[in-house]
Amino acid sequence: MTVHNIYIFDKQGSLLFYQEWNRLKNSGMTREEEAKLMYGMLFSLKSFVNKISPLDTKEGFLYYKTSKYTLHYLETPSGLKFVLNTDNHSQGVRDLLHQIYKEIFVEYVVKNPLCSLNEPIQSELFKTKLDAYIKQSSVYLTKSM
Amino acid sequence: MADDILLDLLHSEIVQYVVGNNDNMKDEDLSTLEYIGFSTGYRIIERLTKEMPRFKDELDTMKFICTDFWSAVYKKQIDNLRTNHQGVYVLQDNVFRFLSRLSNGKQYLEVAPRYVTFTCGVIRGSLANLNIQCLVTAEVQSLPSCKFHIQVQRT
Repeated sequence: MTVHNIYIFDKQGSLLFYQEWNRLKNSGMTREEEAKLMYGMLFSLKSFVNKISPLDTKEGFLYYKTSKYTLHYLETPSGLKFVLNTDNHSQGVRDLLHQIYKEIFVEYVVKNPLCSLNEPIQSELFKTKLDAYIKQSSVYLTKSM
Repeated sequence: MADDILLDLLHSEIVQYVVGNNDNMKDEDLSTLEYIGFSTGYRIIERLTKEMPRFKDELDTMKFICTDFWSAVYKKQIDNLRTNHQGVYVLQDNVFRFLSRLSNGKQYLEVAPRYVTFTCGVIRGSLANLNIQCLVTAEVQSLPSCKFHIQVQRT
């Protein structure tokens, strides 16, 4: 089980934060381009899922899975988007994303008066706390198989 | 708890407001912030000491500031109190509340004074109402720890 990388987008779709842990393959473009593509895909998926659903959706798009990895998606009521890529065996990633939002993002970005909310996150403290949190979580236990 | 975050956010907005009102950027004028702290401290002490006996001496007053007062305002006690017994006191808080979310190291060190000035005023105001006239300055070497130097003015 392993964690590949995390993206945090604001409600306008700009990339607030990116970090990677076990990422073996690079996309071959700049971080900004990649983030735009990622956001565009999520935006389309979200509206697609909501339109195509035969029943009323409560939470909408939650995750998708390929043969190699799973992308987990969490959108807060305020429009922040947390995207975490893991391998296919990971359990409880949704809770993990919730915890990251509640205990790391709110604590060290929202409560930090020097972090403005619509700009990329510069705080070193946030970065180290997030890194430590991911590394001690059960999802991160072992290296990729 | 809700009231904790209210104080944190209101404090950071006050800081932002005072800093934003400065015209010349190179020398920040934080005296307004210090004065806001002073009057806050002057008033809050009436409420905190209403059930307490009178203090024996200056050191007793300082101990009150470090324990009861700090717990009431910052939800923890001062980690270290030192004095030279000649009117100089140093209060050290290893995880100062207004700095704890900023960084744990040198990042943002240059703006740290903004976030401790209010508290300098609060300490000065509290002591002023307890009949101790003093000067309070703060020293931040590495966030989130902070030292408050209190120099009592003797007449």
